[in-house]
Amino acid sequence: MVNAWALPLPLAVSQANAALVVFLVYTVAVIVLAAMANRLLQTRSFLSEYFLGSRSLGTWAFALTFAATAASGGSFMGFPSKIYSHGWILALWIASYMVVPLCAMGLLAKRLNQVARIAGSITVPDVLRDRFESPWLGLLATVLIVFFMVVNLVAQFKAGGMILQRLLSDAPVFHATAQGLGKLTHSLPWFRGVEAEYLLCLLLFGLAVVFYTTYGGFHAVVWTDVLQGLVMVGGVLFLLPATLYLVGGLDEATQDMAQMVPPRKGHLVASWPEGQMPGRLAGGSWLVVPARQYRRAVADWLQEQQQYWQTQANNAADPAVARRHLELLRRRSGQLDRLPPWILFRTVKTVTRDASAPAPPAQGSARRRQVTLEVVELVSPHEIQRQLRRLYQQHAAKVSWEQFLADPGRVLHPDLRVEAIHTEDPLSGADTPGVYVTGPGPDPGGLDGFLPLSLAVSFFFMWAISGAGQPSSMVRLMAFRDSLTLQRSIFLLAVYYSMIYLPLVVIFCCARVLLPGHDAASDRIMPEMAFFVTDQLGVGWMAGLLIAAPFAAVMSTVDSFLLMISSALVRDIYQRNINPGVSQKSIKRLTYLSTMAVGLAAMIGAVNPPQYLQDIIVYVGSGLAACFLAPVALAIYWPRVNLAGTFAGMLGGFAAHLSMYVAGWFFHGSFFRPVRLLGCDPVIVGLVGSLVAVVLVSWITPPPPRRLVHKFFCRRVEGASGR
Amino acid sequence: MPENPTEKEGHWQWDPTFLNSRREAIFILIIWALCLLWTVPFCYLTGYMDLESGRLPWLAQVRVLGMPGWMFWGVAFPWMVAGIVTVWFCYRFLQLDDLGQAPEEKEAETASPSGNESNRPT
Repeated sequence: MVNAWALPLPLAVSQANAALVVFLVYTVAVIVLAAMANRLLQTRSFLSEYFLGSRSLGTWAFALTFAATAASGGSFMGFPSKIYSHGWILALWIASYMVVPLCAMGLLAKRLNQVARIAGSITVPDVLRDRFESPWLGLLATVLIVFFMVVNLVAQFKAGGMILQRLLSDAPVFHATAQGLGKLTHSLPWFRGVEAEYLLCLLLFGLAVVFYTTYGGFHAVVWTDVLQGLVMVGGVLFLLPATLYLVGGLDEATQDMAQMVPPRKGHLVASWPEGQMPGRLAGGSWLVVPARQYRRAVADWLQEQQQYWQTQANNAADPAVARRHLELLRRRSGQLDRLPPWILFRTVKTVTRDASAPAPPAQGSARRRQVTLEVVELVSPHEIQRQLRRLYQQHAAKVSWEQFLADPGRVLHPDLRVEAIHTEDPLSGADTPGVYVTGPGPDPGGLDGFLPLSLAVSFFFMWAISGAGQPSSMVRLMAFRDSLTLQRSIFLLAVYYSMIYLPLVVIFCCARVLLPGHDAASDRIMPEMAFFVTDQLGVGWMAGLLIAAPFAAVMSTVDSFLLMISSALVRDIYQRNINPGVSQKSIKRLTYLSTMAVGLAAMIGAVNPPQYLQDIIVYVGSGLAACFLAPVALAIYWPRVNLAGTFAGMLGGFAAHLSMYVAGWFFHGSFFRPVRLLGCDPVIVGLVGSLVAVVLVSWITPPPPRRLVHKFFCRRVEGASGR
Repeated sequence: MPENPTEKEGHWQWDPTFLNSRREAIFILIIWALCLLWTVPFCYLTGYMDLESGRLPWLAQVRVLGMPGWMFWGVAFPWMVAGIVTVWFCYRFLQLDDLGQAPEEKEAETASPSGNESNRPT
């Protein structure tokens, strides 16, 4: 333990409360920013300021709000989890971020900003409506944005609530408050069955975001995005050297990973003599099982599984998966005679004595109670050896290394016996050293590995190109001040992304070495690493700052979506279609009301959110790109494009993208397992479909009015008398 | 390059901001395509193992700055090059065009004769 960086006691905050303190400081900071933004609102044109920041964003604000909006919770929870689970191949998965600043900003920014200024547009539907002078096109764009964004907003609120719950889970004050809230809400029908901790976090998160977004509008969102962007990069820049120091250098970590094979995941039945079972077995506990006991506990299950998959291989429509299972089971049976002396399991969830049941009676032995545990089984011999050493260090005062090694189980959990083991190898990469340092990476459920070639191409396309097609990014492209701001912002964004994404790959590859056995709950690896690294360096108070990064990422995405929906309702539907003559005072009231109403409705929806939330987020992100990228890009770059072509592009992109999901429902039995045409992600099909539709329909229909081409693409020659 | 409307009508010409933006967009697409053509095939050919045989590709066994060789030459190195190209693009290729003024900016300028310096295009 290195204590050189530890703070004096009055400044040191315990890890358990660090997240709570950070959350409180953070909330106060965003509220102050919202108040400052609200003062700006009093002095400028309300709608333009509230939804577009009066087109005055400077370099830092523009670059960081762009980056923070694009980085949702996925960047700081999902991405680290994927790196931990699949290894170095995630560097290729994320590789197109090398050109994302150029593509996502440079591709559309200057022209979109100019067209929005020419037309006086404030929102993306505004741009399309004014560019083609068609209220119906504006309405179609509004409907598509509201449809996709409302669903996504509920999902993001849930993600925010869950992340905050993880951050605060160790704070005693938090649990006491949650219990109080649970008592108040348990009798209300909508809240019945909802975990009190989650509900409290959803309320805290939701109310904070809804308040500062409603009160401060676009500038509040942008300024909080800047704060959030700095928190994110600060967290990564601290973690990188700290992790490399703890792991002994990157070379060491990569060599170690090259020897690793993927662990097995599944369940284990453990038993204790009656009365000896501990009241609570915490998640993350290590169980050491002798090879002899392991063989006995797994043999019957292996046999059952072989029979099951043999039947599947003979009867199933696609026997390849069944054959792979059979191959893995046979290989594992053959290895039972060559096991290391001890096998290590890490438990995933906390279990209490209440979850146990009497074991089936065995002749001549004492009565026992048994419990089923979700576990991860380490398979690599060197990982087992290293973890045994770490476990020994916690008990070094009691026994010598030799005594510990003679029977670690007796030291760690003397009364526990393993009755049955049901753990499975991943379908690809099992028992294959080197799988974490090469492509396509291990995959629990796929035969082709995590990132086959076709998906590598799809992701290169997806991050760089479809990222440019998100309406929430386009709004920001309409808000920067001038070309000089754009020039500096692209440069700043390139530096920012380089400081975030490649370092994240390095940090969480090292996490595989430092924190083995987290595969079954790898989405917790970011907070786990934050706690581990700060604890090892003796700076526990820093943990709160580090784990604020994912929270900041979700917050910055939610506030932008909230404002987009609100602008669609007030500006695109009400002001431009229902009541064009509405007064400034009324529009102000309506805007505040709609932002608050949309936020509160999404929050209530997130109390009982639909299933498949992560899948919904993916569907929405790719769907928006399929609908908007080609129509908007061609609307600003191709004078020949017309109203019919743009309509066709939006509807064509929507239909092509949706058809892959509907086909997945027919062929794979689930809407969220889409068909991959030629191995490509549905977003590619949607983008190509949309592009082809715009071009073809524009060509076969009459050209656009000359007046519109002149307005958006031409300048009058000096001294000309006009037409 | 589209046909210049001036030639037909004598009063209008293509907006230089539009022409510059389009030239820059084409350049960006070419850079993206070059990065794709280098990164994905290179990583696939030198960093993908044969899952059937478990045979490691040659650059997976070489480490550069602690990273697997395929990752360094296939991702980190082009990332650095793309960074340099981005800087060059920003400060040499991107034109500092006039983006014009929105109606509310014109109104604000009319209301205050001194104008708002921060909102003026460069």
